[in-house]
Amino acid sequence: MQETKKCTGEVLSLAMDLGKSMVKCGAEMNRVEETIIRVCYAYGMKRVEVFSIISMMTVTAFDDEGTDYTQSRRIYAYSNNLGRLEQLNALSRKICSELPDVSAARDELEKINSEEKRFRLSACIGNCIAAASFTVFFGGCWRDALASVPIAVMIYLMNAFIKAKGINRLFFTALCSALSGFFALLFVRIGFADNADMIMIGDIMLIIPGLMLINSIREMLCGDVMSGLMRLIESLIVALSIACGFAVPILLLKGV
Amino acid sequence: MELNEALRIVFSGLVGSGGFALFFRVRKSRILWATLGGGLTCVVYVISMKYFDHEFFQNLFPALFGAIYSEVMARVTKSPNTTYLACSIIPLVPGGKLYYTMYYFIIGEMDLFSEALKQTARISAGLAVGIITISVFVHIVNHGKFKQIYDIE
Repeated sequence: MQETKKCTGEVLSLAMDLGKSMVKCGAEMNRVEETIIRVCYAYGMKRVEVFSIISMMTVTAFDDEGTDYTQSRRIYAYSNNLGRLEQLNALSRKICSELPDVSAARDELEKINSEEKRFRLSACIGNCIAAASFTVFFGGCWRDALASVPIAVMIYLMNAFIKAKGINRLFFTALCSALSGFFALLFVRIGFADNADMIMIGDIMLIIPGLMLINSIREMLCGDVMSGLMRLIESLIVALSIACGFAVPILLLKGV
Repeated sequence: MELNEALRIVFSGLVGSGGFALFFRVRKSRILWATLGGGLTCVVYVISMKYFDHEFFQNLFPALFGAIYSEVMARVTKSPNTTYLACSIIPLVPGGKLYYTMYYFIIGEMDLFSEALKQTARISAGLAVGIITISVFVHIVNHGKFKQIYDIE
């Protein structure tokens, strides 16, 4: 008797930690709620109620004796890590089909979550490639593309080392945009590149919350009005802080 | 549109999606497909730019294509569709228009600002409608199945 109770709590805890990790990788709320429900049902719970908004989730599960268990998780920061999301998704499929020991499943979850390096060369190179090719995409020449690369490296390093320290996101975004704009104008001024606006556009693509905006509208139309609204407002505020950041160098240097 | 420009858009869109696939840390075995999704979306974008004048339609069809592609690839490779959707849609995100919108606002050209803002809104609307059409459809089918299995409201 005591054994099963302990187990139900552990299963719920596992399901929620899995869900939390998925939100942190940038999953949609639908997927997270479905995963939690699937895992709980797979381990024999009779009824599962999930409520989640982007920064908080709470689940109540009823086992076959009708005892209810409630847990909640608070989510602070989230980013895009689609590779890990895929691993987590595969893990949840595996849990549902093979029903491994809860502790074994938890070990695997921890293993996936522990693969965290601050600086990843591949991600940094990806950042540079993206910035350079979007500079060309929006009409820049190859010299502009070249000039956008050091700025992309700077944005990546700031992301990896400064943002992780828990600095206010809006301030960070504004600072990032201001520095990018400043360097873009500087490169044009010293004759290294031709079009400052193209360089800035290429680098904006890296910090703009475009995906977040699209995800938010998707969530709202799929019925998750709360998470959608929170994401929408957050992405609009971030866009605003990008604008404020770029305003500084443009106003300071353009007129000179 | 000239062929040169079309090629430039498709090629840089393709490479850019590849860059974002690396940046989003897509798994190695999926990077190729995610990149291809971005490239093909750009092809559809170029074609619809040729046939439509309105930004809404210019972005609606590539978004539809990108969403269908990512749903199909997600089924084929058994991975979350976000993996492909994020990389396929990223070339369509109106970064350029958004930049000009705020640039005109900052330098005080209010007529140009409102025109750029309207364009940005039309592009975003086209994108959102395209993605949502597919994802709502998939959601209805999936969620129907899900509800039957687990008997929830």
